[in-house]
Amino acid sequence: MSESLHQAFDLGLFWEYRKVLIAGLAVNFYVFAAAAVVALGIGLGAALLRVNRLPVFRWLGTLHVEIFRNAPEYIMVVWVHFVLPLLLGYLIRTRLEFNPFVSSVIGLGLVYSGYFAETFRAGIENIPIAHIEAGRSLGMSERAIFWRIVLPQVVRRMLPESVNQFISLFKATTIVSLIAVPDLMYDVTMITQQEMRPLPLYTGAALTYFVVILAASSVLRALSERWRAKIYA
Amino acid sequence: MGNWKHLVWDQREVLLSGIAVTAQVCAIAFAVAVVVGLLLCLLRMYARPLRPIVIVVIEFFRATPILVQLLWVAYVWPALFGWPNTFFAAAWLALAVQSSGYLAETFRGAIEAIPKGQREAAYSAGMSPVQVFWRIVLPQAALSASPSIVNQFTVIVKSSTLVSVITVPDLMYQSQKIVNIWYEPIEILTATAALYIVLVFAVSAAGKHVSDVLRRRYAITAA
Repeated sequence: MSESLHQAFDLGLFWEYRKVLIAGLAVNFYVFAAAAVVALGIGLGAALLRVNRLPVFRWLGTLHVEIFRNAPEYIMVVWVHFVLPLLLGYLIRTRLEFNPFVSSVIGLGLVYSGYFAETFRAGIENIPIAHIEAGRSLGMSERAIFWRIVLPQVVRRMLPESVNQFISLFKATTIVSLIAVPDLMYDVTMITQQEMRPLPLYTGAALTYFVVILAASSVLRALSERWRAKIYA
Repeated sequence: MGNWKHLVWDQREVLLSGIAVTAQVCAIAFAVAVVVGLLLCLLRMYARPLRPIVIVVIEFFRATPILVQLLWVAYVWPALFGWPNTFFAAAWLALAVQSSGYLAETFRGAIEAIPKGQREAAYSAGMSPVQVFWRIVLPQAALSASPSIVNQFTVIVKSSTLVSVITVPDLMYQSQKIVNIWYEPIEILTATAALYIVLVFAVSAAGKHVSDVLRRRYAITAA
């Protein structure tokens, strides 16, 4: 017990491999950033479908949200990695293979687009109709109204909730190690297999993520509060 | 269509056994998470000397990714605490650990939202602190937190796909095994994804229904 306790908190081994591990953590951030862009783009598209006048579009938007909000991240990433290239390959009649990084970005991006769509929609529906009417009466085009009146307010309103979703997305990036994207967890697993000492490595990984995520969420929350306060003032 | 029959329908027994394992893991994890979450919440709120430690524990549970926790519980805890000794136990324990952190904060929010006057009324009616908690505070808190509790259960179901990584034979594990036998991923992975989506959808719809019915029946703290 005390021997293993000592080993678990002797993070020397974790420190020895710090270069590889930092590179791994950087991969987590790359996947996160790319998936966030995909999720925000598709999420905005789906939210616009959900508030469309035509029922068909609304129905499609709802379908998108229900599928991706209820899909576990792991199965989506695996599905995008192993099935989507085959299906697309049949369509264009060539052999297609995704690199694991691309699969993870698409998979995680799709799952989180479902969550972001709902956040965007709530934000859009919260805009008083008078703002849009005022824009129209000034002769603005529908597109100008969306980009200059609706979207800026939506973004501010959805900040607090999207911070939570960004944090979940960052946590979900650890899953990409399972399709061999060389992130921090992947490196830890590989080094564990060489060194046969899981205790310090897994403990170190858990502590690293804990510190990074706690710090990121506190900073993001403070920033989003300040930005909101500044703009509403 | 032949592939669908051969790869999915003919494998239904294996897939069903996987679903059964998924259901077991999730049910145990959820039950444990509710109890531990409530315990953590009470310690945080009422055990003043322990508060800093409990806050760190809750934040640690909440801020570490589930995959990391799963591997940590599965490979580090046995050496550290001599338990869990099977991967099945490690699976539900890891899922419970993470959810208990979230539930502790959910419970705390719900308990803090109960008007102070209710507690004072109960005390002035001569109830003991334990009675006040069990009869006045907890039922209302549980009711107002029920949507978040249900949501946490769907999170457990989604995260449970990862227990296949430590070779617990859940639905994900069985489906990947079938892929590795036949090298035909399209049908079986699509079917598995659809199964999970339907499963999570059904769980959240059922949970929402139950919590709506409860809230309407007892009609307190509708906010």
